[in-house]
This record gives sequence, structure tokens and C-alpha cells, in this order.
Amino acid sequence: MSEVLTGAQILCRELVAAGVDVIFGYPGGAIMPFYHALPEYPGLRHVLVRHEQAAAHAADGYARASGRVGVCVATSGPGATNLVTGLATAHMDSSPVLAITGQVGRPMIGRDAFQETDVIGLTLPITKYNHLVQDISELAAIVREAVAIARDGRPGPVLIDVPKDVQNQKAAYTPPEGKAAAPAPVPPLAQGVDEAARLIAEAERPLLMIGHGVILSGAYAEVRALAEKTGIPVITTLLGISAFPESHPLHLGMPGMHGEVHVNRAIQHADLIVGIGLRFDDRVTGNLAAFAPRAKIVHVELDRAEVGKNVPVAVGIVGDARQITQRLVEAVRPRTCEAWVAEIRGFVRPRAEAFSGDLSPEAILASIYEATGGSCTIVTDVGQHQMWVAKHYPYQRANTHITSGGLGTMGFAVPAAMGVHLARPGELVWAISGDGGFQMNMAEIATMVQEGLSVKMAIFNNGYLGMVRQWQQFFHEKRYSCTPIWSPDYVKLAEAYGIAGWRVENRGQLDDVVRRANATPGPALVEFVIAQEANVYPMIPPGGSLSEPIEAQPAATPAR
Amino acid sequence: MQASHAVSVLLDDDLLAFNRAIGVVRRRNLPVQGITVGPSGQAGVLRLAFFMQADDANAMRLLRQLEKAHGVHSVTVTPVSSPSLTHPSEAVL
Repeated sequence: MSEVLTGAQILCRELVAAGVDVIFGYPGGAIMPFYHALPEYPGLRHVLVRHEQAAAHAADGYARASGRVGVCVATSGPGATNLVTGLATAHMDSSPVLAITGQVGRPMIGRDAFQETDVIGLTLPITKYNHLVQDISELAAIVREAVAIARDGRPGPVLIDVPKDVQNQKAAYTPPEGKAAAPAPVPPLAQGVDEAARLIAEAERPLLMIGHGVILSGAYAEVRALAEKTGIPVITTLLGISAFPESHPLHLGMPGMHGEVHVNRAIQHADLIVGIGLRFDDRVTGNLAAFAPRAKIVHVELDRAEVGKNVPVAVGIVGDARQITQRLVEAVRPRTCEAWVAEIRGFVRPRAEAFSGDLSPEAILASIYEATGGSCTIVTDVGQHQMWVAKHYPYQRANTHITSGGLGTMGFAVPAAMGVHLARPGELVWAISGDGGFQMNMAEIATMVQEGLSVKMAIFNNGYLGMVRQWQQFFHEKRYSCTPIWSPDYVKLAEAYGIAGWRVENRGQLDDVVRRANATPGPALVEFVIAQEANVYPMIPPGGSLSEPIEAQPAATPAR
Repeated sequence: MQASHAVSVLLDDDLLAFNRAIGVVRRRNLPVQGITVGPSGQAGVLRLAFFMQADDANAMRLLRQLEKAHGVHSVTVTPVSSPSLTHPSEAVL
């Protein structure tokens, strides 16, 4: 049965029908009809952020933690442009985010009206789909299509731009029947599975390299079964971390620019790499011409355009990681790789990190792990701390590591952690940032306080934009141009927001403060004062081969 | 520019689909020329055609990326064999 509703009400109805329960947003002129309608739909919880960028990151964090579409809302003009970084982040990391933006009324479009921006043009290259709604008659169908596109296939962000007068228009509305349509069926698989199984049987030095696609498809059990049936060691990319338990004897670690030496050497010595749900990006491969020179590559990937894009493949299999990995498990014969695993063990080097003082990142992360029993989700920002977490935190549970991988967006952790908390309200969530990234979106503490979001925030404070400083040290003659960064008194900042805050300066304070932060209801902030010139080792120089790691502070070299 | 491939894209007859397809090409930063847009013979479907200079691998990457763009129906990439071709659609029609 149909009823007459405004465009704004139809938007809300469609969001409810799509299963949306949380919206991150910020009101403004062109989206006011939507906000006027919103209180009529108590099933749609609105979280008022302090900046629209945070709304997009929070929706992204919600999507990654829940596997459902995350929703953010902004007004036209600056509200819409502030979403762009968050949408680009979601696009690079295949996260299903629906952005709804208000637009000036249709008669004003194209006349440089107040707060008018061509958000469709701005977001074309960073969304799977976007659409300027021309009339209320198409609104419901556009929302349904956008949600389906965000979620189905390789997930990604979508944007719907709704002129203010369309939000105010009235039309007969017929709700969708039943539940939202199921994802489109994955095309039949299989070509290449038998060939991949044959290559696995013949290989003497095989590796499994798994990425975000394993998490997106939930292929945890299948990947583990494949590894255990064949004895093949497992490498997890930055976004593949937590897709395979780190305590498993076959787990090797992270590859690439800051991968451990033994992981990268294993890649360079491998004769077969079975890559599942990853795109072999440049941070993983280093110099492509020198990447895995002895290896044939089997690439399992949902997105056909990724197969062969960066590395030549012997076998490309297009389809869902879970389904194909299950087929591989059935197709391979049991085998072991004991000699190869022993050889890799011989590649292991002692970690080179040396920190002045006793408050090392490794100790901090061990403390958080022990205090939570490994049960929390860690959301990281971008920079040195991100690499320390990736290398040192012993993830055991699936999808408990969330970070901005492809775009490398500083400022991601704090707002994304708000979304993760709302997706997993019963679990502890730690947002770990550096002092640079934290200051980009620290205004979201106010959001946490107002909305009662229990996120524990850790700041690794070394007084520098550390990763850039490290590059300056290694490649720019130690000219620390514009990387020293001042911080406020974070304990007083916490106090100003009315939340608990601590500064930890030595190992003796560490465990007690972490426990107290975990036990404190609501948000809490802990500043960890770490060595100023701590570096992340090993490091493959930009453009370098995985065979050429920097394992200690190099002599100054000319700027590149 | 010595064209190596002719590209023909069938896509929805609307500005957004056209913009997406052109955006994919622009983002690859490949030299193109002879861009033409016209009817495809099917109602609601446009043909976008152009010459491109790229090796086969890059041409194939562009094809796969174009196929992903919402509103694109099909993509054909054809090596340019005849130097007398003056219009990209001649190579694919």
C-alpha cells in the first residue's frame, strides 16, 4: 500500500529498509529537510560528528567491522567536500559506504548558488557509483541501487546527491517488499582451480599471500584449511592482518616496505605465490621488476581488473575468495613444506628496532594485548605506529585490525574507531594514533562524549611526524624539514573534554594505566611518550627491491 | 601520436556514464586522440571511440577498468593494423 511522503521521508524509509541503524553526519542548509524527517525514524541513530571527514571515516569503520553498509550524511558545498578524503579512503580499501549529500535546489544548480559544489564531479573517480537525484520519482530506486552497488561484488563507496527541493517534494511511496535484495550471485568460478592445484603440488617453495579480500569474504576457515592441508606458509598483507592467527606455526608476517626480512626473503626465494584477495600494490611488491623473480603467481581475486594489473600471473582465478579457496582446498592433495619452512626459519633476523628508554612500542602493544586478552579491535592511523602495530600486535581473532591501507589517511583512526565501537558495542576498541594523526581529528572526542562512545585512544607521541622524519633521516640528509610537531597537554585536553586521560613515560606506569583505561566507562585517552627518533625497521627504500632491506640507520644519502 | 589501439565503448546514453568512462581513460594518463561520441544503433546506448597509444598490457588494463565503470556495457580494444584508419570506430565496427 502506498502513502504520500516527502523525499526526505522516503530517504529515511529506504535506509531503514536497507537495514541501516546508524548514520554519521552533520546538518546544514541543503540537507535540512532530511534532518527534519529524521526524528520520525528512531531506528536510525544519528551520530553528530565534529567534521564531515570524520563522518565518512566512522561510516567506513562501521562498515569494516560489521560487514554492512556504513552511512554518512552531509550538506552541500563544504559539507560534501569534507567527505571526500573519507570516501577516497573507503574506495582504496574496498569498504561499502553510502554517502548522502544535500544539494542546492534544482533551479539553483549551475548558478554558483550558496554552498553549491559539483560533488558528483568531485567524487566520480573515488566512488563505485554516484547520482544526482533529478526527481522524487526516482529517489527510492536510486537508494536501493546505490546500497546494492556499495555492497555487492568488490565493495566500495557510493554517493547520492539530493537537491533540497527533491527532499521537500511529495510523492506516493510504496515500501520495498520483504528484505533487501540479496547480493548478486558471483559468476561461476572454477577455471584455473585445477591448474592452481597442480602448481601447488609441484612447487618446492610455495607461499600463500592473503589480503583484505579474505576478510571481506570471510574466508578465514578456508584459508586456514588450505594452509594446513598443504603446509604452505602464510603471509598477511597490511589489510590482510587478522585474517590468519598470528600464533599459527605457518604464519610468517607482513611483506613489503616494512615487512620482516624473512618474509621478504621468502617471497624472493619462492617458486609459487598463491595470492588470495589482494592487489599486489607497490608497498607489497617494491620494485616490480625484481619482485618474486623465481615465482609463478596464482592470483585469486574478485575484481577481474586486478588480475595481472601489477604482476604477471600464471593462473588468474576471478571470484569470491571464500568460494575459490574452498574449491582449492578440495582440489589440492595433502602435502607438507617442512624443508621450505625450515629454510625460511633460517632467514629470520633479530629485530633491529632499538628504542631509547624502556617504553618501546612493542611493550605498549604487548600491554594492551595482555590487558584485553587479545579480545579488542585495534584501529590504527597512518605512520610509524601503524607499522609497529602491524608488526608487533599478535592478532588472533578475525577482522580485529582496521587501518587505512591504500590511501594512507592520517586522521583515520579516531573517527573510524567510533564506527567500529557502534558495530561492536560489546567489545573494547583501541584507536592507536601518532601525535600527528591524532591532532587531525581529535575534535571527535567531543562526539564520543556526547554520544557515549567508548573508544580508548592511544597516542604514540614522539614529537615528530615520525614516518616522514624517518624518510628525511634516511633519504634527505637528516634535514627534518617541518616534521617536528608540537602537541597540547593531552591529559589536560582529556580533562577539558571530561574524559579520563593519562600520560605514560616509562614501563613502570604502563600496565596499570592500560588496565585503568580499559576499566574506565566511556572514552579514555592515554599518551605514550616514546623515543623521538625511533625508526621502523626493516625498510625497503622506495622503488627498491624486497632483497635490499635497510636494517639499521644508514649513512646519509643524497635526497631522492 | 602513433596510435596502437582503437577503443570502442558502449555505454548508457547519459552524462554520468560518459563522464565515468572518460575519467577512467584520463586517470590512466595514456595518450589518446580522435575521441568521438555518437549513437550506437541501440536505443539508450552511446558509442565512445578513440585511438590510444599503449602497449598491449596497458591496453588490457584500460579495458578491464572501463568494464568496471557503472553504466558501461561493453568495451572493445583492437590493435590498429591499418595505418590508413582515420576513425577509431573503423577498427571495431
